[in-house]
Amino acid sequence: MTAPDGAGDVRGVAEDALAWVDARRAGFALGEDALSADGEVDRSWKPLGELAQVCATVTRRTARSDPLHARARALLDFAWRETEEGELLLRLQRLEPFATYPLEVYASLAAAGFRHPAFEAAAAVVAGTRGWRLTEQDPTRRLGVRCAEERCGIRPRGQAPPAPRGTWLGGLPEPWTFERAAGYALTHVVFHLTDWGRADDALPPDLARYLADWLPPWLDTCLDAGMWDLAAELLAVAATLPRPTDDTVPPDAWRRLGAARDPSGAIREVGREDGDGEVGDPARYFAHHYHSTLLAAFAAVLTTARPAGRPAGPRHGGQGAPA
Amino acid sequence: MEQSGTSALLQGAVQDLASGVVSALRGGGHPRVVLPADTGGAAGELALAAVRVLGADAMLPSVLLRTPPDPAEAAVFRKAVEAHPPRPDAALSVRWSHWGMARTLRRIDPSSPAGPPDEPGTGALDEADWQSLTRQLAVLAPLALPGEDCAVSRAAVRRPVDVARGFVRAVRRRDWRQAAGAGRWLTLLPGVPDTLGLVSGLDFVELMGGQDPLVALHVQAARLMRTGAPV
Repeated sequence: MTAPDGAGDVRGVAEDALAWVDARRAGFALGEDALSADGEVDRSWKPLGELAQVCATVTRRTARSDPLHARARALLDFAWRETEEGELLLRLQRLEPFATYPLEVYASLAAAGFRHPAFEAAAAVVAGTRGWRLTEQDPTRRLGVRCAEERCGIRPRGQAPPAPRGTWLGGLPEPWTFERAAGYALTHVVFHLTDWGRADDALPPDLARYLADWLPPWLDTCLDAGMWDLAAELLAVAATLPRPTDDTVPPDAWRRLGAARDPSGAIREVGREDGDGEVGDPARYFAHHYHSTLLAAFAAVLTTARPAGRPAGPRHGGQGAPA
Repeated sequence: MEQSGTSALLQGAVQDLASGVVSALRGGGHPRVVLPADTGGAAGELALAAVRVLGADAMLPSVLLRTPPDPAEAAVFRKAVEAHPPRPDAALSVRWSHWGMARTLRRIDPSSPAGPPDEPGTGALDEADWQSLTRQLAVLAPLALPGEDCAVSRAAVRRPVDVARGFVRAVRRRDWRQAAGAGRWLTLLPGVPDTLGLVSGLDFVELMGGQDPLVALHVQAARLMRTGAPV
């Protein structure tokens, strides 16, 4: 495991996290119940979709010669094979035509270049109904579905509203009202608007300014509270901000996140390790670690992919975002 | 045991004194907030110690509401200022607190020497990260007064966004005293992002922590300063 120290912290987190994910790719495999009516989506399709989403960004934001790129590419191939090149997604769509998660998982793979024309045709038929458009969802999820529709060609690109109405972030709320649920919502709004870190300068200026002002206390308090997954998501958000406002990350943030790694390189979602690691209950261990570890890789790659010229350290005595 | 007993007594005296200040700031009841100067013995010492803990805020009603101080209160305050000057090697926060008391004394007592006392210097305040800056400013919140200039207030004016971040952090950490102190400073700083929502933030801090008179004091002071209390 790479020691978290100085500028190498970020790269070390990316390498450790993706190596962990690769070594445990079997945990992301779809089980026998992936198409069964009582299958648990959170234990099958959700981890696979997240794997694809993160790896699609890693391949986009790293050079082909980078070992991280090759590893992410291999993981994407693995994920696509798990869906039987999209066939399972088509079957899933037939079983639950009005469920949105098959489209969302497909979109994350489509972002990496995998396509299944029959799935897209089927999804377009369903998405053309009033019933689909009127599906009751929270605003952040609705934004995600709209972006997935765009990714799959069901909806023309660029129709997502720049400051999504109804979302916590879009309303620029008082930053001291930030709580865990608001945090997850705001990070995902940013991920959707920036195409999961693959689009440049996709944030409207008012959102970017707001985030530059208030990410520092959110990050600091999430790290203090051991909320590693949310801290990683916030670090990813910080990495998507325009450069002139990006000295928003506390100087010790990556060291603190890096210190949360267990000996295998995994990062727990919340708190400290409390069990006997992977040995006692591998499935539970995987469930409690895969998300944070993936998101740490995601945030680290976005951070290291930034153009040169990033401020080297904290601006003591100055302000991160002068008003 | 005796130490902790004394400490508990002092804490109680500080809370009582702060409650009196809050009541006076709210315009309720008698503005007398300190014991008469002729209170002697242990009770007198305790009263003086409580005034020193509260610092210049012991006379805040007179300063913010522009009411002449009760002569007996002013006498106690003078005694608290003059009886225990800090040693040169005392912590900066102690020296600034004393400086703030001396400034207030000159303001409320025409018989005091003219001109402000010498400032202690700000140490590493300008180089402090935003967390540390806010923590120190909150301790020095009695220096946050409209129209009053000093090196500490100038350091705060230079960093409104950082202090606002510290306010958010303090609320997230449920550190209501620090949040209230930072909020009081923020009412004086130009350039605080509108999205902070300071007015409702102060209401929230009072709601969650206002049973502590030291929290209520800063919140009430902030409100008076926002509404343009004559100074």
